[in-house]
Amino acid sequence: MSGTGKICKECGYLVHHSLDRCPNCKNDTFHKLDLRGNCKLLKYTIVKSHALGEVEFENGVRANGQVFPKENLKIGMKLKPVYGKISNNFDGNQVYAYSYKHVCP
Amino acid sequence: MNQVAIIGVGHTKFGKLEDKDLMDLLCDVSLEAIKDSNTSDKDFDAVYVASMLAETLNHITGVASALVDRIGLLPVAADHIKNGPASGGSAIKNAFYAIASGACDLVLVSGAEKMTHITTPGAVTSAVASMTHHTAERIHGASLPSFAGMMARSYMERYNVPKEWITSIAVKNHRNGLNNPYAHFQKEITLEKAMSSPIIADPLQLYDICPISDGGAALVMCNAKIAKKYCDTPILITGVGQATDTHIVYEREDMTVLKALQICSDQAYKMANKAPKDIDVAELHDAFEILEVVESEDIGFFKKGEGAKAAWEGQTEIGGEIPINPSGGLKARGHPLGATGVAQVVELVWQLRGEAGKRQVSGANTGITCNFGGFGNNIISILVERM
Repeated sequence: MSGTGKICKECGYLVHHSLDRCPNCKNDTFHKLDLRGNCKLLKYTIVKSHALGEVEFENGVRANGQVFPKENLKIGMKLKPVYGKISNNFDGNQVYAYSYKHVCP
Repeated sequence: MNQVAIIGVGHTKFGKLEDKDLMDLLCDVSLEAIKDSNTSDKDFDAVYVASMLAETLNHITGVASALVDRIGLLPVAADHIKNGPASGGSAIKNAFYAIASGACDLVLVSGAEKMTHITTPGAVTSAVASMTHHTAERIHGASLPSFAGMMARSYMERYNVPKEWITSIAVKNHRNGLNNPYAHFQKEITLEKAMSSPIIADPLQLYDICPISDGGAALVMCNAKIAKKYCDTPILITGVGQATDTHIVYEREDMTVLKALQICSDQAYKMANKAPKDIDVAELHDAFEILEVVESEDIGFFKKGEGAKAAWEGQTEIGGEIPINPSGGLKARGHPLGATGVAQVVELVWQLRGEAGKRQVSGANTGITCNFGGFGNNIISILVERM
């Protein structure tokens, strides 16, 4: 899974890949981060068409994504990233992104 | 720095204003403030106009240039200021520094938004969601209501707060709005009705969320040295602060902490040589009622985790320890995006002048606002006092 995060080479701060300079020390060189494995649900809300969650991987990288199914959600539950088409966003354009599926116990 | 005074205010009715377009709102409210300040025959040094979605919802650009022509202020310097729902606060901040620096003596600030004519479902929410991070947030279907929902759930679970405590703020604000002739809603609601309203972004329900409104608000500001020429009760802006936070909400350590508000309100308090305990009345940005809770904490009134309880216990009522949103707040007064930051200060001016009628906070001498941009990544705080 290509990372949504990267680590500052100077101070080790973890940031989203879109940042050009480290917010902690202003350095502009980073290590890329690959995400593997499952994640846990940190926060969520349920709107009409989907559940939106904030998840965290073991290496600390976070991401937003749609969680399915949208029932029986609990903060701390294990989820696994699933790559595919999502289209229930405002623009209605189909995008490829990660959603997060319940991991069956 | 020169001292800065507010010598006149204007405020339209907020709501669904079918016979007014964006320019009408800006013109009406600007002329009202000019009349209120007795500066109808004066040339201004600068005009700042706040409107977040003039282009997107109204296909109008160059609003500041258009306004000053229409109201006879040519050839004044004029700027359109945009900072999301904090456009009003930003416009006031710019006017403040223009006067404080000595560059200007007389400045008009007007904020307005025309939104209710948009009938496509979700179109306004989508336009407002343009403030989210495109790849990290928007493409996944994120919107401001969804972040407020996440914030509310996080807050409720962490601090063991029942949903009723948060929704009671909507009830309070509607009760306050009843006495605000400019409010979008002048109608009380019961806690039962609010708690049984449809879920919008779980756990937030319909009545926890502000309406979409049309409206405008304006201030005439000047160098305090000349204020008494125009006005018997000038109100001073003695503190201004602004701060930013991460664009992506999940990059914040704790999304229930508005770091930008802590920083910008500290700046305002420091500049004014005041502390939270000195504040008599506040206008906070309750686009979602959970925001009034966390803002009341991060602006220094209550400890983190105690804002909802304080509201439930009545501490933020007009007769309480620290009255919050006597105007009805964004929930009842309404939320024409570019107007809100200006309307918050207009309300405080009325409060400090003793002109707030049935919603008057007794003995109000000092007030503070929180004008929230993005989802908390750009916040402005303005502190006002009687001269």
